[in-house]
Amino acid sequence: MTVPLVETLSLVKEYAVGGGTVHAIAGVSLAIARGEFVAIMGASGSGKSTFMNMIGCLDIPSSGDVRIDGIATSAMNSDALAELRNSKIGFVFQQFNLLPRTTALDNVAVPLIYAGVGRAERQERARAKLEAMGLGERLDHSPAKLSGGQQQRVAIARALVTEPLILLADEPTGALDSQTSEDIMHLFQTLNEAGNTIILVTHEREIADHASRRIMFRDGKVIEDAPVTGRRVVRP
Amino acid sequence: MTSRFRKAASRAAFNLGIALTALRVNLMRSILTTLGVSIGVFAVVLAVAVGSGAQVSVMGAINSLGSNMAIVFPVPDDEGGGAVAERGRLTMRDAVAIERQIEGVTAIAPQLHANVQLVSGGRNAATEAIGVTPGYAQVTNAVAESGRFLSEADVRTAARVIVLGRTVVTKLFGDYDPIGETVRVNKVPFTVVGILEAKGSNLGEDNDDVALVPISAARQRFTTDLPLGPDDLRILFVGIEDGVDLGKVKREISRLLRDRYRVRDGQGSPFIIRTTEEFMEESAMVTGIFQAVLVAIASISLLVGGIGIMNIMLVSVTERTREIGLRMALGAKRSDIRNQFLVEAAVLCMIGGAIGLLLAIGAAAVFEAQADFPVPIGVGTAIGAILFSAVVGLLFGGWPAVRASRLSPIEALRTE
Repeated sequence: MTVPLVETLSLVKEYAVGGGTVHAIAGVSLAIARGEFVAIMGASGSGKSTFMNMIGCLDIPSSGDVRIDGIATSAMNSDALAELRNSKIGFVFQQFNLLPRTTALDNVAVPLIYAGVGRAERQERARAKLEAMGLGERLDHSPAKLSGGQQQRVAIARALVTEPLILLADEPTGALDSQTSEDIMHLFQTLNEAGNTIILVTHEREIADHASRRIMFRDGKVIEDAPVTGRRVVRP
Repeated sequence: MTSRFRKAASRAAFNLGIALTALRVNLMRSILTTLGVSIGVFAVVLAVAVGSGAQVSVMGAINSLGSNMAIVFPVPDDEGGGAVAERGRLTMRDAVAIERQIEGVTAIAPQLHANVQLVSGGRNAATEAIGVTPGYAQVTNAVAESGRFLSEADVRTAARVIVLGRTVVTKLFGDYDPIGETVRVNKVPFTVVGILEAKGSNLGEDNDDVALVPISAARQRFTTDLPLGPDDLRILFVGIEDGVDLGKVKREISRLLRDRYRVRDGQGSPFIIRTTEEFMEESAMVTGIFQAVLVAIASISLLVGGIGIMNIMLVSVTERTREIGLRMALGAKRSDIRNQFLVEAAVLCMIGGAIGLLLAIGAAAVFEAQADFPVPIGVGTAIGAILFSAVVGLLFGGWPAVRASRLSPIEALRTE
């Protein structure tokens, strides 16, 4: 049996709030295999974002464990987690989170700096990713000169530049209009067909329907985990 | 090894880029913050320079006495116990004995001092007249710039001849060449036979405000400030060969004089012996303390500047919390974040330090031109100032940088 790419074991995240304890994640065990396109759904406060932050190794579980590519993360220190995020996980955020006053090329190159890649190679790899995103003409543009869709594609290029195992996208279309959202989802589907594992957090059913598997969260628990029926496949 | 170095250099360049961008974005804030460090570095550099200047001046004053020498003088009244009988003495015979019996002595310069009024034509000048022998020129490196120095014959005959310092010449004669002119010294006419080469001034003491006469003439004609026997001296300079141990010569002179005056062991000496070496050491210590005090006071302003840096770095970290979270998500380690802010603080401080240094160099130039006091800012001081600024940056930027590096990635990312 092959090792799941992402595996959570009795994952719990608690917060102490005003004397009581809130269970943001109340014991979630699931596995995601290489090559899947998973949509994590749920209402605000359902725990879906907390779950994603923990499989992204941005947040530390209260108990349980997250295994990335078979490696347990609960015992890792902050430097090891930083290396893991850098090499195996690519993040895409709702608000793009590009560095202002920094060119698209330099934005995409940032993860490679932390990976210790030399300048010439950084530039080359960042350029290649931006060209793959159809932004070859806009390498020197700062985020302020790019549209929302373009900014998100720069962010996706940045997420992919270290050739990670997993692409984590937190409401990637939340700040985009519907047409641009469709374009971005098409991009995700293309990337998934090319072999990338994608985990997407969204509260929109339509967006989730682009994925191949849907996991529903409510009150910190998984209430539904099934393949998407009637999957929306964007064909431009 | 090389590739590791290249990676480190690459990251350093990258951090520098981030720092410069951040500083440019908040230009006005950066300038104002930098100003605090500028003022601090300005004050510290000037304090160091003024201290060095004092050192240079004092050393110059000691050097202007001449090269290696021991200075011997009788214990003054008020220190010798009061009674005339116990007052120290020093005579011409002692001086001759020192010259003949102590090894390494090149020449002796016995002296009498008197404050005198010089008059020539309608002009007058108050100065110190020193009764000397030809040995004075040798011991103190005094040279007659025109005319001649005093001779053995002048001393033997108590000739009423006088050699004037440049300042006295200017006061009495202006630009006119006074050789051969008559000067009345306390109403006694003397003939000017020479002018001393100018030595300049040290610590406000004008080395050229002096007049030299034969020691015999001084004894006959002036009321000196030590009215003792006909053979008494006010002070004796003993010139000593280069390379000779001054401490040893000092001990030998002391033993000789104690023998001559039959001072018993355990009894205080009626004379004081000092060497140029001792002057140098003492002066170095005093000016060193002076400099340290100045620098300590000036450092307070640098401290205030540093606190300004810390304040602005805390603001900068708070403003960029989200960016810090993003960088952590993209793989930045704690050390990467910490270094990024350290570099920013160090760059900020070094720019401030450079500005402060330039201001200090300007102020030193103005000061030197106006006050005739050396304020040397050496290359070492300049480099030191810049490096010290960087250290201030690392010190005061350290806490904000560490704070930034300890942020939790997710909490930093969630910050609006």
